[in-house]
Amino acid sequence: MPAHKIIERLKDQFGVAIQRADLPGNGRLFVFVDSAALKSICRFVFRDLDARYVTSIGSDDRPYSDSFLVAHHFAFDRTGLLCSLLTHLTGNPPKVDSISKEVPAANWAEREFRDLLGIEPVGHPYPKRLVLPDGWPEGKHPLRKDVAWNFVPEGYDEDREFAFDEPPEGCMVIPFGPFHPTLDEPAHFRLYVEGEMVRGCEYRGFMAHRGIEKLGESVLTYNEIPMAAERICGICGCVHNVAYAQAVEQAAAIKPPPRAEFIRTIMLELERLHSHLLWVGLACHIVGFDTLFMQSFRIREPLMWMAEKISGNRKTYALCLIGGVRWDFTAELKAELQQVLLKVEQEWRAVVEAVAGDRNLQKRTLGIGVTSPELVKNVGLIGPVARAAGVDIDCRRDHPYAAYDRVEFKVITGTGGDVWSRLLVRAQEVFESIRIIRQCLEKMPEGPLQLQLPDELPIGRMGMSSVEAPRGEAHHFVITGENNRPRRWRVRAPTYQNLQGIPAMIKDQQLADMTISLGSIDPCFSCTDRMEIVDIRSGKTTVYTQEELREMARRKVL
Amino acid sequence: MSGKAIIEILGGLANVVIVLIVAPFFEGVLRKLTARIQSRQGPPLWQPYYDLLKLLGKEDIESGESPPMQRFAVYLSFAAIMTVACLVPFGSHAPANGIGDVLVLIYLLTLCGIATMLAGLAAGSTYSLIGMNREMMSLITLEPLLVVAMVIGAIHVHSFRLDQVLAGSVYAAAGFPWSGLIMLGVMLISFQAFVQRVPFDIAEAETEIMEGPLMEYSGPKLALFKYVQMAKLVIYSALFVALFIPWGHTGLYPLDVLIHLAKCLVMVLGVTWVAATHARYRMDQAIRYYALLVGISVIALGMAVYGY
Repeated sequence: MPAHKIIERLKDQFGVAIQRADLPGNGRLFVFVDSAALKSICRFVFRDLDARYVTSIGSDDRPYSDSFLVAHHFAFDRTGLLCSLLTHLTGNPPKVDSISKEVPAANWAEREFRDLLGIEPVGHPYPKRLVLPDGWPEGKHPLRKDVAWNFVPEGYDEDREFAFDEPPEGCMVIPFGPFHPTLDEPAHFRLYVEGEMVRGCEYRGFMAHRGIEKLGESVLTYNEIPMAAERICGICGCVHNVAYAQAVEQAAAIKPPPRAEFIRTIMLELERLHSHLLWVGLACHIVGFDTLFMQSFRIREPLMWMAEKISGNRKTYALCLIGGVRWDFTAELKAELQQVLLKVEQEWRAVVEAVAGDRNLQKRTLGIGVTSPELVKNVGLIGPVARAAGVDIDCRRDHPYAAYDRVEFKVITGTGGDVWSRLLVRAQEVFESIRIIRQCLEKMPEGPLQLQLPDELPIGRMGMSSVEAPRGEAHHFVITGENNRPRRWRVRAPTYQNLQGIPAMIKDQQLADMTISLGSIDPCFSCTDRMEIVDIRSGKTTVYTQEELREMARRKVL
Repeated sequence: MSGKAIIEILGGLANVVIVLIVAPFFEGVLRKLTARIQSRQGPPLWQPYYDLLKLLGKEDIESGESPPMQRFAVYLSFAAIMTVACLVPFGSHAPANGIGDVLVLIYLLTLCGIATMLAGLAAGSTYSLIGMNREMMSLITLEPLLVVAMVIGAIHVHSFRLDQVLAGSVYAAAGFPWSGLIMLGVMLISFQAFVQRVPFDIAEAETEIMEGPLMEYSGPKLALFKYVQMAKLVIYSALFVALFIPWGHTGLYPLDVLIHLAKCLVMVLGVTWVAATHARYRMDQAIRYYALLVGISVIALGMAVYGY
């Protein structure tokens, strides 16, 4: 449905509640609506217009408009349109009608702006704390503009424990995490188990929330943020780097030079290659099939070396600045990359053929962690998880960015919606990524890498960007601001949505299938915030607190 | 003490020494071959000896629910498996006939599993309890296979004596040894489960329940448990060889030991190959698999009774 048609339908339905609609072109739509009608408009867009829920954003806009801002983002994938429904909230404390009952996928995002900005989602079905630590006092909201980035409230109790819900009757509680061999990062699932069957779970994550958004809004500058954004994820960092740069470029109506767009595409696909190979390895390790684990890591290694040759790093490529990229591809690099791709393609084909008929592997993956298209819609699942359930969405095709509109590729979908079809989808996507990189190497035009930018980017403009990460769509939203930095920068990583689907995926299946079900969304949590150091000579063990570590990091001693 | 008894005891002790020396080496072969299948260099063959020595020298942290029971479990497990080593033939006929018969052997093997369950109970964490639960289920469904194999041998030779049963007795039927051949097949495809390797390492599955019953062990006690696991690989191989592949003995004791161990090594290579090419089964899948095999073995038992 084209954008003007959507505006028309909204105006027909809601009349004056639709205050203003901006259509800045190239697939973006910003609709300012009356806060009282926000809930019914969201229901209409989500159910009647069948848009896909992306995320919800809260923002402290008081210094500029004396109000708080809430935005719900939806995607019309068939028409390549990203739509933002915005509303200003003037009350104190700010309140907005919760949409989580109509749009279950908004559950976390609404709790997040409740925690971080103090915007109360009225009528939220489960208004429990999500992001802030449990010892954090009520009424302090770190993302508000009058709160400093390094603010620690009085009475903050670091050691306060999380208050869990009561388990259902007749169920045993099995703690899964915060540390478990199959969780690479801390996250806690409290599983309610009856015999060997999982009946439900409670999730507590955000144990290492690093406040990167706040840092971007108050300390860093436009061109420093891409490097911080890259560190959001240790596997698909380049995705956030590109997504942020694109969101700013889109807000400021800048188009990077074509060569830069091709280079971005190549690096994003290189990242997808290594990430998918890594995932297949880890998934096999989880089900005890270590041979394939080792083989996929062996096949993956040349890609890491190649990335190092191109960017100077195996990971964290430090690729983008606003309006371009930081480094170029030489002819030798291109030739060598072609060689590596050829080898990876051959070896991966052999693996895929061997695995395709493996009955033993199917025993642990077929019919496990099943998602239906309804669940995908309701919880807003994305990426290979959605595609394996037969939902044909892929930001590279639906909302083209970088050079994806100039290359040909297939969007791989499955039918089973289980772990096995996710495996097949990812395995096939490796070949498509190789195809895309080859086309890019062939079609990459000569030219500059970086735009000459005006001294200051325009202020108060909004931009959003969706990038298809290996795990699904990563979505960045930016409001440009003063002092050479954005006013608001919001990141929604793909796991943010996919994790919300886990309770439904593991319900009523065996406990032993929990790890592979969780693993199958390729979860990506965060980093550790505390460490232990053993002095080898004296054998003395010292555990440093967060405080001491911060102190040491500042003094650069260890 | 009579001369015969002394020879029996010496023979049993010789077996214990053989198992203690050979078990880490077999584990080393298993690791090296696994690495090769996985395109890795792999650790040196003697790495398991180093590992055991290292663990034995480490600090012993008793962090479980009930340390005395943990201690008891690990010693029980080690003692049981070493007593089994006395009873199983390595090269010559079963040495320690005086200690017990086939039934004692079966009890001792079961005791080994029970020690693992005690360890899980003593650790007291949710994961180790799950591991204990799984160990119990596999013990109940798996042990009958070995019992049937030995009882079939005992029926054929009309004796429970170790030296008579553990000498290819399954083929000693009056008629064509159908029951022996069926049990050969059954034991061959369930062997992986007896030595608890992938795809049947369910009770300890590291990525699911974090080594289950072993999770609270460290240092020397963990070393003993690891030693037990390695010894199980050798002893079950030796049992299998004695029951089903008894041929090729020369009568010269040292040479026979080597021949026997070579046959065991072939079993280990098979175990390695299966472990490297399979994903772990879920408990319910494994139980269904064992149940089918138990059904088949009961049929074989019936045939043995009628002289086949």
